[in-house]
Amino acid sequence: MASAYTQPMQALIDALSRLPGIGPKSAQRIAFHLIKCEERDVEQLSSAITKAKTMVKFCQRCFNFSESDLCQYCGDDRRDATTICVVEESRDVIAIEKTREFSGQYHVLLGTINPLDGVGPEQLKIRELLQRIEPQGVKEVILCLNPNTEGDVTSMYLARVLRPLGVKVTRIASGLPVGGDLEYADELTLGRALEGRREVVG
Amino acid sequence: MILRHLHLSNFRNFIDAQVSFTSGVNAIVGTNGQGKTSLAEALGFLSTTKSFRGVPTEAMIRDSTHTAFIRARVLHADGREVTIDARLTNQGRNQVLVNGKKLPKIRDLLGILRTTVFSPDDLDLVKSGPHLRRDYLDDTLAALAKKYDALRLDVDRIVRQRNAVLKQSGGRLNSAVASMLDLWDEKFSISGTQLGAARLELAEKLTPLIVHAYEELAQRPSDITISYSPEWLTVGLAKSLVEARVEDLRRLITTVGPHRDDFEITINSLPARTHASQGEQRTMALALRLAVHRLIGEQVGETPILILDDVLSELDPDRARSLLQHFPVGQVLITTASELPVEAHIAKKVEIRGGTIISAPESD
Ligand SMILES: [Zn+2]
Repeated sequence: MASAYTQPMQALIDALSRLPGIGPKSAQRIAFHLIKCEERDVEQLSSAITKAKTMVKFCQRCFNFSESDLCQYCGDDRRDATTICVVEESRDVIAIEKTREFSGQYHVLLGTINPLDGVGPEQLKIRELLQRIEPQGVKEVILCLNPNTEGDVTSMYLARVLRPLGVKVTRIASGLPVGGDLEYADELTLGRALEGRREVVG
Repeated sequence: MILRHLHLSNFRNFIDAQVSFTSGVNAIVGTNGQGKTSLAEALGFLSTTKSFRGVPTEAMIRDSTHTAFIRARVLHADGREVTIDARLTNQGRNQVLVNGKKLPKIRDLLGILRTTVFSPDDLDLVKSGPHLRRDYLDDTLAALAKKYDALRLDVDRIVRQRNAVLKQSGGRLNSAVASMLDLWDEKFSISGTQLGAARLELAEKLTPLIVHAYEELAQRPSDITISYSPEWLTVGLAKSLVEARVEDLRRLITTVGPHRDDFEITINSLPARTHASQGEQRTMALALRLAVHRLIGEQVGETPILILDDVLSELDPDRARSLLQHFPVGQVLITTASELPVEAHIAKKVEIRGGTIISAPESD
């Protein structure tokens, strides 16, 4: 198909539309915005991208973002190495850390099983997770994946490959937002919270 | 639930139009192409965020403009008055505000404005293949409880993912493919069975209501059977998937499960889809909508607004008369090209000419 734009402009639009969550319309809008920007702002953006790309790496153990070989959690001896919380992306680590409820280590899968996107178990950091179990003496793996189709299936797969190794596999209950009245809770969330109920210890 | 007021701007051929409605039967009169169906479509959009004509957003925005607005004031049974604002745009996302507040998820709109729409296209519900009848059941489930909206999306997603595994296998079963199929089958068995069980329970509740609505319209007892009885639901989905695996690998698609179900209707022991007359099919399509209308009213305690688009030109005179005499409870909006007979007990008449609304004073 012949393009209505000059070659550099089309190349920029194509590159932007390959980013997650950016459709062709948004890519066009961002491209136009960038061309209209001050030279200085564009340079700032492109150097921020280059710098982040060279400085930020993946932790060799858990695949969280890290500036050194081991991330701040894997490198901290005070954290419990026998409990691992498995998440999809590094941003989930940040969300869990904010709760201050978890003092174990993480493992970032870098995605979920998603055949439509060509992602099977081999494309995820699952082998690397299994290799941590024995050396670290892991007792419990907490699956903390998104409660959607792919997250559910990935949890099922992980439970299947982890249980034979003799570790306890648990899953977070998708619960209610704290501070919200029960009566106003979305029935979907409330239903999920009921499914994930626990015995009250007293 | 009662629609009090509707305001449209740049919606279809309406530049800026406002109209009030009353409880009871509201007739929207206009010759074809004047915009009466668009009025019904705007309301349908507010309750489902989709056009019942099955067109994209762009088609609802007036030519040479970029944004359309719909505002409706609705009175709920508990006395609450709710204002819904929708902004439709061909540049970016549509936006919906309820009482001036943005909705976190479009799904949250379910239940704020409930409508039952019957349009001439609904003939396809009876005449076409099974997928519209599956949607009919699933749309009703979603209207009864939000969790079913999530469940149908889950099932749809599972089927597409499982089909991707089959395609990538190229039809060859090695241990990696078998392990992936086992995994998706386990997930499919759980979610698919939940959907099948919900459809079955719903079909059992709807059947007597459909038969009743049909007989009321036809004004005589009729020999109708309606059945939702997929084989996989009796056998068990897990077992059915194992049995179908060779066939699935040969055809590279998932050949068994809720995505292939039908809700079969017979009239006089013959399939309505292929053997009923056009008149019987239209009556059945209307009966299917009226049954859902009644069920939702009973189950959620809030009768939806019944929107009948051009129904009178579609039914034969006897059936049309019996519809007008047996309007269900609640507010009715009926669009028509010709004047309605006195049996309709019109509470308010609204006339539409070239995208302009001419309201007549309310009568009793
Ligand atoms: Zn780490």
